[in-house]
Amino acid sequence: MTTGSVEQSELTSLEPPVTSTLLLDWVSTLDHKRIGIMYILTAVFYLAIGGFEALLMRIQLAFPNNTFLSPEMFNQLFTMHGTTMVFLVGMPVLTGFANYFVPLMVGARDVAFPRLNAFGFWMLFFGGLLLHFSFLTGSAPNAGWFSYVPLSSKAYSSLQGVDYWIIGLLIMGIGTVSGAINILATIICLRAPGMSLQRVPLFVWMMLMQAILIILALPALNSALAMLLIDRWLGSAFFDPTRGGSAVLWQHYFWIFGHPEVYILILPGFGMISEVIPVFSRKPIYGYTFVAASSVAIVLLGYGVWAHHMFAVGLGMYADIFFAVGSLLIAIPTGIKVFNWTATLWGGEINFNTALHFAVAFLLQFVIGGLTGIMFAAVPIDWQLTDTYFVVAHFHYVLIGGLVFALFSATYYWFPKMSGRMLNERLGILQFWLWVLGFNMTFMVQHFLGMMGMPRRVYTYADNPGWALLNGIASLGAVFMAVGTLVFLWNIGASLLRGKIAGDNPWDAFTLEWATTSPPPPENFTVIPEIKSRRPVWDMNHPENADWKTEKTPADRGIRPNLAKLAAWAFIASEAVFFLLLLIAYVIFNTRSGEGAVTSSVLDVTRTGIFSLFLISSSVTFWIAERFLRAGKQSAFVFSLGLTILLGITFLAGQVWEYAGLLTNDITINTNLFSATFFTVTGFHGIHVTAGVIALFVMLMMGIKGNLTADKSHVFGAVGVYWHFVDVVWLAVFGIIYLGLLQ
Amino acid sequence: MSSYFDLTSGLWKWSSPVWLLVLSLVGLYIIFHHRALGKRIVFFAFAMFALALAYVSPIGVLSDGYLFSAHVIQHLILLLIVPLFLLLSLSESETEALFRHPFMNRLGSVMAVPFVGWLSGLGVMWFWHVPSFCNASTENYALGVFRDATFLLAGLAFWWPIFSPLKRFHLSSSLAVIYLFSACLGCTLLGIYITFTVISVCPAFANPVDRLGIMHFLYDQGMTPATDQRLGGLLMWVPPCSLYVCAIMVVLKRWYAEMDQLTSPQTAGTTSSLREAQS
Ligand code: HEM
Ligand SMILES: [Cu+2]
Repeated sequence: MTTGSVEQSELTSLEPPVTSTLLLDWVSTLDHKRIGIMYILTAVFYLAIGGFEALLMRIQLAFPNNTFLSPEMFNQLFTMHGTTMVFLVGMPVLTGFANYFVPLMVGARDVAFPRLNAFGFWMLFFGGLLLHFSFLTGSAPNAGWFSYVPLSSKAYSSLQGVDYWIIGLLIMGIGTVSGAINILATIICLRAPGMSLQRVPLFVWMMLMQAILIILALPALNSALAMLLIDRWLGSAFFDPTRGGSAVLWQHYFWIFGHPEVYILILPGFGMISEVIPVFSRKPIYGYTFVAASSVAIVLLGYGVWAHHMFAVGLGMYADIFFAVGSLLIAIPTGIKVFNWTATLWGGEINFNTALHFAVAFLLQFVIGGLTGIMFAAVPIDWQLTDTYFVVAHFHYVLIGGLVFALFSATYYWFPKMSGRMLNERLGILQFWLWVLGFNMTFMVQHFLGMMGMPRRVYTYADNPGWALLNGIASLGAVFMAVGTLVFLWNIGASLLRGKIAGDNPWDAFTLEWATTSPPPPENFTVIPEIKSRRPVWDMNHPENADWKTEKTPADRGIRPNLAKLAAWAFIASEAVFFLLLLIAYVIFNTRSGEGAVTSSVLDVTRTGIFSLFLISSSVTFWIAERFLRAGKQSAFVFSLGLTILLGITFLAGQVWEYAGLLTNDITINTNLFSATFFTVTGFHGIHVTAGVIALFVMLMMGIKGNLTADKSHVFGAVGVYWHFVDVVWLAVFGIIYLGLLQ
Repeated sequence: MSSYFDLTSGLWKWSSPVWLLVLSLVGLYIIFHHRALGKRIVFFAFAMFALALAYVSPIGVLSDGYLFSAHVIQHLILLLIVPLFLLLSLSESETEALFRHPFMNRLGSVMAVPFVGWLSGLGVMWFWHVPSFCNASTENYALGVFRDATFLLAGLAFWWPIFSPLKRFHLSSSLAVIYLFSACLGCTLLGIYITFTVISVCPAFANPVDRLGIMHFLYDQGMTPATDQRLGGLLMWVPPCSLYVCAIMVVLKRWYAEMDQLTSPQTAGTTSSLREAQS
């Protein structure tokens, strides 16, 4: 409790100096609400682009044998549409809402790391620009949003599109992980006194789950992207079956990220629905504990079912069965939530406004998408329907029918808080019906088209019986959605100018964001109401019916871990997954016998073993340095830190020596799979050591200048978490590569 | 070739020495827990049933040199199911009586250190699947008994910080979740390795001695050594992880019910009365 609030006040003093222009004001902002809005606006901008791409595709598909778009163009459009919608619309808009509302809902003055937050946003922004820059080169990425190899390998995609795709995603990925660490730390460390983790609003809980998913799932994508990039640029053969690589490995790594990704997108949607439905039913949510705990189950199970995207690969009967059962299991916690929401509505005093309209449509449509998902989990059905429009229908029902409808619902609910003005209900209902009609027209018929065998990702189709009609309906539906969006934008614009003034709490809602003005002041709150239940604002406004009088919830025990340490742990958890997957690739490619002439036998185990000792002892000297720092012995601290740096540099020198030896013997990264995996793993590790040395050097400078003292030892401790981690990774690398354990 | 009926009767081994262990455990339970309540007795009975099943049923017979996958199932029963239900069958008060003894209390606290349980639970799984150990313990009877004993003990140590009958030995909820989740990760890695590697993890199963004359039958059913190992890998991975997820749900349920701290004086104190006066 205490540490949290102290650090918080430290952080709010990071406000940028007063600047003259409005633009500069926004660009340099560190205020979480403004960054949140910038995330949302970025997402809306890319929504326009992605939506435009979708409209072009629907025009092309409106008639059989249409020639409006060339096949090449069509490939680029569906690739960019998918990539944009997932990485530049879905994730940013959720991060935006999280940025704006999580601190408010937990009663904090700001997010945990305002600078990291701004950094994350700008990484995303420029990553997105880079991705779209590829259009100017004349060859946007065209291998689908999952860029399967071999199609995405140099041999089949020789132009730069895929390179832009890889680099863009890597940059955006860095931004996304930083954003997630920030949200995680905000929720864990900055909750107002009284708000135990068991009392946080469900939206906050879902964002916590999402942050964990991002931190542990994105590195899987990053490792795959790194290997693909090395294949493409340096000629290695990770994914090239003709040279012993494995194309299926890409699919595994992509979907180890990809399946959690769909929950990254939908969990916040669940959170939004769980805020809207109770408020407009005038009841607390039915079964809070279940909704929250089952999301934990979803997070955990979500890592174990990726291969249901790969039933057609031929993984073997048993693997198929296990992944099918896993997928069915994960549908259970998802499905039962629908009952929680329905039970919340049941018997409530319903205020059936636009936000609730969207929420109810969410329920119905999400159920349809969930059911088709369950169908896919049955392997034979998947074999029949995979790569048809049935898949397209499935994921649009969960992503649009679910997520986008939840987002609209949340927008109608929270817009008054963000702007101080109400959205127009009449326009809202109009937009709602346009979207419900349009959405179901477009995607319901795709179930039938899929069952009739229409393949996805093919630029046109023959005039088979019924196909023209159904596709025509689908394309017409897209127009409805486009018009609905215009109505929505109009509503926003008009309401910003002339909307009814909202006041602090127009809905008589329950959670802390409604306890401050609309829009909230830069410091968020003047006073934070007392938190004794899950609905503090309700308790404040209705003391006679306060929740805590009837329903007890676990009280806050005031545990708030140190911010810097928590962030360091979250970061290394993410890094650990990255290295784990690289090491798995090493094991996979080097346990087969007779894999070419060059194997780990070319390595000088003894010499590297000695250099490893330097690295390991640097962990010890670091530990000693930390103790000196805490004891206030400044010069001893500087000395042992300097020693740590020297040991680290010695290790790096050893690595350079080793690399030089290999390279002069003509063993390079593209020699074979051993060399490729060896250089990739040790290279990334070397980069990490280098980064660690730099961080230590900064610490050393601060120590010499006397800026790093005992009271700031937790920052040093956080660097230590990283440094020890790098050493532990090396132990694994040494054991697996040099000593050949596991082979 | 023998008929299916003969095969199935040959697949049960009613004369297994495991009954001795079951009997002695039942004896101990009656002595120490004669006042046990219904639910606990059911848990205990289930633990004994699972223990016997692991040896008497085809799982036990096939795991003896025939099928790697059956061997994995046997391990899982010994490591995860039996110890878990044994712990659940102990009542708090009578265990407390036992653990009041300083030595036992010491033991309990040592087992409550997360690393101990985690390492023993995962360690035995990894250790006994190093090819040479796996082989040796399958071929040498005494070593096999020793291995099974380590499984039972490691299982007790693994579950102790989560399901010990004494709450003071429990991990805090967040640690417990990490404990179980990382254990799942460990199983996943081993399972993936066994599922996808081309190495024969336990060569004894690759060319079994056909004691019962059922080899052809198994191969006809598609249970070739490669398939068998893949199935074993998947079994080592999915069922334990599912069990851990269930355990995490139990931990969370406890966490959401942590109400006893609610009445702690400072939090419910002054400020609330102030606010009530205000409104
Ligand atoms: C109810 C539980 C669910 C199950 C059992 C399930 C199952 C599946 C299966 C088996 C596939 C592969 C189909 C194929 O390509 O042959 C699939 C595809 C997909 N699912 Fe789900 N799903 C579920 C929920 C969701 C949710 C909640 C989302 C997103 C919010 C989602 C998003 C997707 C996406 C984007 C794809 C297509 C990926 C691609 O091929 O491009 N699913 N689903
Ligand atoms: Cu999936």
